[in-house]
Amino acid sequence: MTAVDLFVQQLINGLSLGAMYSLLALGFTLVYGIMELINFSHFNVFMVGCMIAMLTLQAMGLSGQSVILSGAPLVLTLLAGFGVSMVLCGFIGVGIERFLLRPLRDVKGPAAMITTIGVSYVLFNLVLLTLGSDSKNFPNPLPPVVFPIGGAVLRLREVLIWITAAVMMFALNYFTRYTKLGKAMRATAQDPEAARMMGVEVDRVIMISFFIGSALAGASGMIFGLYYNLAKVDIGFAAGLRAFTAAVLGGIGNVPGAMLGGVLIGLIEAMSAQALGSAWSDVVIFSLLVLVLVFRPAGLLGRLAPNKS
Amino acid sequence: MITRRSTFRIATGIASAAVLGSPAAYAADQAVKVGIDLSFTGADAETAARIANGAILAFEDANAAHTVKGVTFELVKYDDATATAGQYDPAQAATNARKMVSDKDYIAAIGPQMSGAGKAMSPILSAGNLATITPSSTNPDITDPKFAAEYRPAGKAIYFRTVATDAYQGPNMANYMAEKLKIKSVYVLDDSGAYGVGLADAFQKQAEAKGVKVLGRDRLDPKAADYSAILTKIKAAAPDALYYGGVGQAGVKLAKQAYEIIPNVIKAGGDGMQSADLLKGAGFPAVQGWYATVASPHVTDDPKTAKFRERYFARFKIYPDDYTVTCYTAAQVIIAAAQKVAATGKPVTRDAVRDAIQNVALPDSMLGPIQFDENGDLKNKIISVFQIQKDDKHPLDDPASQYKYVGVAPMS
Amino acid sequence: MKALDAMFTSIAVRPFAGMAPERRRALGLLVLAAVLLAFPYIHDNDGDIDSAANAMSYAVLALGLNIVVGFAGLLDLGYAAFFAIGAYYYGIFSSFQVMPPWSGFWDPFAMLGLVEKINRGGPDLVHFTLSFWLALPTAAVVTAFFGILFGAPTLRLRGDYLAIVTLGFGEIVPIVARNVDSVTNGAAGLNGIQAPKLFGHSFGVSATPYYYVGLALVALLIFVSLRLRDSRIGRAWMAIREDATAASAMGINLTRFKLMAFAIGAAFAGMTGVYFVAKLQTATPEMFNFAVSSMLLVMVVLGGMGSVWGVVLGAVLLQLLQTWFLPELTGWVHQLGAALGAPLLQQIDFVNSTQLIFGVILVVMMLFRRDGLIPATRKMPALSYAAQHAEVRRGGFVNLDRIPRWSPAPGNALEVRGVTVKFGGLVALNAVDLTVPAGGVVAVIGPNGSGKSTLFNVITGLVEANAGSIKFEGAELLGLAPHQVLERGVARTFQNIRLFPNLNVLENVLIGQHARLRSGPFASVLHTPGNRAEEAAATGWAMDIIGLFGNRLMPRIAQTVSGLSYANRRRVEIARALASRPKILLLDEPTAGMNPAETLELAEQIKSLHELGLTILLIEHKLDVVTRLADRVVVLDHGDKIAEGRPDEVRRNEEVLTAYLGRAARAALMEEDHAR
Repeated sequence: MTAVDLFVQQLINGLSLGAMYSLLALGFTLVYGIMELINFSHFNVFMVGCMIAMLTLQAMGLSGQSVILSGAPLVLTLLAGFGVSMVLCGFIGVGIERFLLRPLRDVKGPAAMITTIGVSYVLFNLVLLTLGSDSKNFPNPLPPVVFPIGGAVLRLREVLIWITAAVMMFALNYFTRYTKLGKAMRATAQDPEAARMMGVEVDRVIMISFFIGSALAGASGMIFGLYYNLAKVDIGFAAGLRAFTAAVLGGIGNVPGAMLGGVLIGLIEAMSAQALGSAWSDVVIFSLLVLVLVFRPAGLLGRLAPNKS
Repeated sequence: MITRRSTFRIATGIASAAVLGSPAAYAADQAVKVGIDLSFTGADAETAARIANGAILAFEDANAAHTVKGVTFELVKYDDATATAGQYDPAQAATNARKMVSDKDYIAAIGPQMSGAGKAMSPILSAGNLATITPSSTNPDITDPKFAAEYRPAGKAIYFRTVATDAYQGPNMANYMAEKLKIKSVYVLDDSGAYGVGLADAFQKQAEAKGVKVLGRDRLDPKAADYSAILTKIKAAAPDALYYGGVGQAGVKLAKQAYEIIPNVIKAGGDGMQSADLLKGAGFPAVQGWYATVASPHVTDDPKTAKFRERYFARFKIYPDDYTVTCYTAAQVIIAAAQKVAATGKPVTRDAVRDAIQNVALPDSMLGPIQFDENGDLKNKIISVFQIQKDDKHPLDDPASQYKYVGVAPMS
Repeated sequence: MKALDAMFTSIAVRPFAGMAPERRRALGLLVLAAVLLAFPYIHDNDGDIDSAANAMSYAVLALGLNIVVGFAGLLDLGYAAFFAIGAYYYGIFSSFQVMPPWSGFWDPFAMLGLVEKINRGGPDLVHFTLSFWLALPTAAVVTAFFGILFGAPTLRLRGDYLAIVTLGFGEIVPIVARNVDSVTNGAAGLNGIQAPKLFGHSFGVSATPYYYVGLALVALLIFVSLRLRDSRIGRAWMAIREDATAASAMGINLTRFKLMAFAIGAAFAGMTGVYFVAKLQTATPEMFNFAVSSMLLVMVVLGGMGSVWGVVLGAVLLQLLQTWFLPELTGWVHQLGAALGAPLLQQIDFVNSTQLIFGVILVVMMLFRRDGLIPATRKMPALSYAAQHAEVRRGGFVNLDRIPRWSPAPGNALEVRGVTVKFGGLVALNAVDLTVPAGGVVAVIGPNGSGKSTLFNVITGLVEANAGSIKFEGAELLGLAPHQVLERGVARTFQNIRLFPNLNVLENVLIGQHARLRSGPFASVLHTPGNRAEEAAATGWAMDIIGLFGNRLMPRIAQTVSGLSYANRRRVEIARALASRPKILLLDEPTAGMNPAETLELAEQIKSLHELGLTILLIEHKLDVVTRLADRVVVLDHGDKIAEGRPDEVRRNEEVLTAYLGRAARAALMEEDHAR
C-alpha cells in the first residue's frame, strides 16, 4: 500500500463514517432548528431503528451473512428494511413529541431536554431487557462487490451509504426550501408565534419534523447495520454523540451544516486514527469542536440569530 | 433509615427443597454464606450471569449431595454495578466487601468480575480476613507482592484466582506466536479496559523481547462502531500478525472488520476472545482462524468436562463459557476448603476457610490441578492455545466445538 | 411527606418571608444532625455505613452541579470531569505511581512533609505523600482552575452549545486519564492510594471515619451553598440564569460570574474526588464516564434545580434507591412469588431495570413536578384584600424623604454624537446626535421601528455601534460592556420588561444594587462584619426604593415577579433600575400597557424623581406623558433624527406629522383593502 493508496482508503473510510454521522446529524438539526431542543432520545431512536431493521430483515428470512441477494430481491429487501425502520422510528418520534414534549413546549429551561435524556434511558433499557446486550449479527444481503482504486478498495456498501445519505440530504434540503410544508417548518423555526398567526399549524409542523428526524434516525440505523453487520444496544451513544457534535460543528439548525459537519467529523476520525492512533480520536474531535465554537460560536455554516429581545 | 441489607438471595432450588422436605434431617446444619460479587447489571450483566451460573451449579450440587457434613451453603449475590456508573462501580464493590466482612456467617466470597472492583475490595477483605476467589479478574497488581502493603495489609493472601494473570497469558502467547507461528512482526491493539490493556502490554513487552517487531500499538474505543481507519492503518503497516487484548464488546466488531480489511494477517487474542459472544456476534467466516488462549491446561476428552457441559446446558439452557468454568472451579475450591475444615471437627469459620483455601489441592478440576502460591495466584501457569476452525457438525456458536486446541503456549 | 416538605421549606425560607419558623427549623436541623451523627452506632453494619458514605459523595457532587446548573443555569453535561481531576490529583500525589528521581530540588518539599526520599534499588526516588487534609482544600483550588479553563471557551456560547462542549470535556478527561498510563496507570487503575491519617492513626478500611468525613463535607457544602445562594454572588447567578441580558444590563459581569460558578462548582467536585479515592484507595478512568455526569443531573433535577436541600435529598434518594431499595424490593417480590406460588413474580428483577426506572422517573418528574421534590421557589404568602386593591395615587412618589437628592454637575450628562448602528443591510440608527443636559428630562419619540430601543441598546452596550461616540459625564461609553455602563451610573428599563421572573420583588431590586456592592464569595460565605453591614444596608436601600411605590409593591415584596400584574412588573423594573443608584435613568416606554389613571400616577412619580435632580432619558408613545415630563423631545424615524425641540414645537413639526400620520393613513387604507 503506497501512501497515496492509504490516503485514498482513509478518505473512503472517513467519508462513509461521515455519511452516517450526517444522516444522524440531520435529525438533531431538524428538531433543534424548530424547537431549539437538544433531542437526546435521538441517540437511542437510532439504535431502536437498527434493531427494527434487523428484525425486519430476519423476518424476511435473512440471517447473518449466509444469504446474499442481487437484483430485484435485493432492492425489495433493502426498501422493506428502510421502509419499516423509518416508519416505525418516525412514529416513535411522533409519540415522544406528542405525549412527552408537547406538554413542555412553553416551559423555559432544560425541562424538555432532560425529558429526552429520560426517554433515551427508557428506550435503551427496554431494548436491553427484551433483546439483551450481546452483539447481534445483522443480516447482510449485499453482494461483496469491490471496486479497486489503485491499492485502495471501495466496497458496494460504501457506495450505497454515500448514495443514500446524499439522496436523503438533497431531498430534505429541497423539502425545507421549496415545499409549502418545508417553508412552514422554516417559518416555525424562525418564530412559532408569528408562524401561527400566519396560519401555520405549528403543532402539526413540529410533529412532522419529529417524524422526519426520527425516520432519518431509522434510516441511519438500517445503514449502520448494513455497513457494520452489527446491531447492539450500546451503539447509540458513541455514534449519536459524534453526530450531534457534527450538527453543532456545522451550525445546528442548518441542513447543509449537518452534512458538512458529519463529513468533517468522519474524516477527522479516520485521519486522526491514522496519524495519532484511535485512542486519541475523541480528544481530537472534541478539541476541534471547542476551537471552532470559540471562533465561530454559531458553527461553521450557522448564523447567530439576531437578539430576539 | 438504612436498616436492611442490600442483597438479594437466591435460595438455590435444590437446597431449599431439601431443607423444606426433611427439616429434621439437617436441622443441626451450620448455614454458611458465600458472597458472589459480580457486575450483574449494566454493561457486563450478561457475562456476570453466565459466570454466576457456575457457582450456582456447584453449590446446588454440594447442598444436594451434602458434600460438606453439617454445612449448608447459601450463595448470596452482590451486584457491584450501579446505574450511577453505568457499569461496575468500585465504590459499590467496596460497600459489598464491607457488607460481607461485617457478617460473620460469610466464610468466603467469589468475585469480583473486574480488576478495578478488586482493587477496591482487596484491602477491606484483607482486614476482615475473608478470602475471595476471582473467576475473571486478571490484573496482576492485586496479587503482586510489590503491592502487598496496599492490597493485603493484614499480611495473608486473601485474593485468590482461578485464572492466570495477564502476566502469563500475554507473554506466553507472544512466545507461541514467535516460536510456533514464526511471526516477524505484529501490531498490538487493546480495548481500553483494564483487562485488555494489561494483556496487550504484557504481550507487547515479551514480543519485543523475542525479537518480534512491534509495528504499532493502538487502542479501540469499545463503544465506537468503526475500526476501519485503524485497520487500514494496520493494513498499510503489513504486519505478520495482529494481537488484540480485550473482550468481546470491541472484539466482535474487530473480528468482523478485520476479516474484510486484513484477511490474511494472523489474528490472536486472549481468553476474552474465547467466547460464544464472538461466535454469535461476528460469526463465520469472520472469526475463522482467530487464535485465543485459555489460562488452564486443556483436558481433552475428559468425561468430566463433557458431563459438566451437559448438566450445565440442562440447567441453564445455554452453553458454559470459559469463565463459567473458572467460577465453577472457584466454588469447588471453597467447598473443598470447607470440607477440609469440617473434617477436622472445627467450626467452619472464615479464618479456617482462608487457611484451607491457601493449602487446597484440587488435583482434577476442569482447569487441571488447582493449587495457590503464597500470593493467591495459581501455581499452575499453563496457557493453552486454541484456534477457531469451523465445525459444521456442531452448533456454530458453541465454543467447545468451534475452538480447536492447538497446543501449549511456551513459558518464558 | 408533607411534614417533611414543610420542614425543608421552612429551612429554605429567606429573610422577611416569616421569622417565626426559625426555632422550628433549628430544632429540625438539630434532630437530623443527631440522627446522622449517631447512625454508625445505632446501625453497626460497615456495609450500610459505607453505602451512606457513598451517598454523601454524590450529595456533594450534586451540590456542586447545582451551583452550575441550578443557580447559574449553565447546563454542564461533563461535570464528572472535575470529579476525575480531583480524584487523580490526590491519587497521583499520594501513591507510588509517579516517582521522579530525587534531587536537591525536593528538599524543601520533604521538609513540608509533601514528599519523602525512597530507595527501591537504583537511584533515590521521590515518593509523593500529600496528606488527605491538605489535599482537600488544594484540590478545590486545582479543580477550580480547571473549571475556569474549561469554562472560558464556553462563555460566548448559548446554553445548548455549552451543554455539548462540557459533554466533550467530560469525554476528554477520562480518555486522557486512560491514555497517559505513566501518570495515571491507565485503565488498570491507580494502586495503593494513601488512606487519610488523623493524629497518626490511619483511617484504614473501616467505613465509619469516612462516613463522618463525608457527613462533615456535606454539612460544610450545604452551608456554603446556602450562604452563597443568599448573597450577592448567588443573586448574580440567579439573575444570569433568569435573563443574562438583563443581568448584564443590571451591572453583573457575565464572564466573571459564570466563571465563578464553574470554578466553585468544580471545586466541590474536586474535593469529592479526593474523598472518594481516599476511601476507595484506587481510581480507574471508568469511574468518571458520562453515566456519572448524567446521573448527577438526574439527582439535581429530581431534588429540584437550585434547591440546596432538594439536590441533597435527590442524590441520597437515588443512591439508596439503587443500592438498597430496588434489591430489597426484588427480594420481597420474590418472596411474595414463592408464597403465592407464582413463578412469574419470582423472575422479576428490579435491579436490572434500575436505569429504566430512573428514565421513567426523569420523564414523569418533568411532566408533573418540574421543580423537583423540594422546589427552589417558595410558595408565596397570600395577599390580603386590602393589599390587592391598591388605590391610584396622585402627587408622585411617597416616602421621598428617604431618597437622597441628586446634585448633578452642570452641563450635558449624556452626549451622543453621530452614532450609526447597522444590522446587516439595515441601518437602525443613522448618525444620530442627542444630548441630555444634567438634571433634564429628554424624551425620544418616533414610530415603531424608528430605532428608539436600538438607541437605548447602543448606549447601554447591548449593541455595538458602527460609528460615532457616546459620552457620559465626559467619558466614552462605546466599547464598554453593559455592566460597565451601569457601573458608570447609566441604568435602564426594557420595553418588553426583562425582570428575573422566578425571583421575588425584593431579590429583583437587590440585584439592581449588584454593581454598588463589593462582597466576594469568601466574605459572603463567612458573613464577615463588612459583608453583614453591606447586606443590611442593601436590604434597607431596597426597601426604601420599593417603599416609593407605597402599597403597590410593599405587600408584594416576597412575591415572585412572574405572578405580578403588568403594571406592577413595570414598577419593579423601575425600582430595580433606581436601586443601582443611577445618575441617569433610561426608561423605555414605562407606561406601556397601563390604563390612563396608572399612566398619570407613574408620570407624576417620574416627575418627582426629576424634581429630586435625576437625569432621565425616556422613550414614550403617549404624547401627554411626553408633554408633561420632557423638557426636550427628539424624534426618530427610520434611524434618522428628524426633529428636536420643546414638546410643543415638535408637535407642530410637519415632518413628524408625516412620519406618524403618513403611516397611519397608509395603515388605514390597507385596513380598508383587507376588509374588502
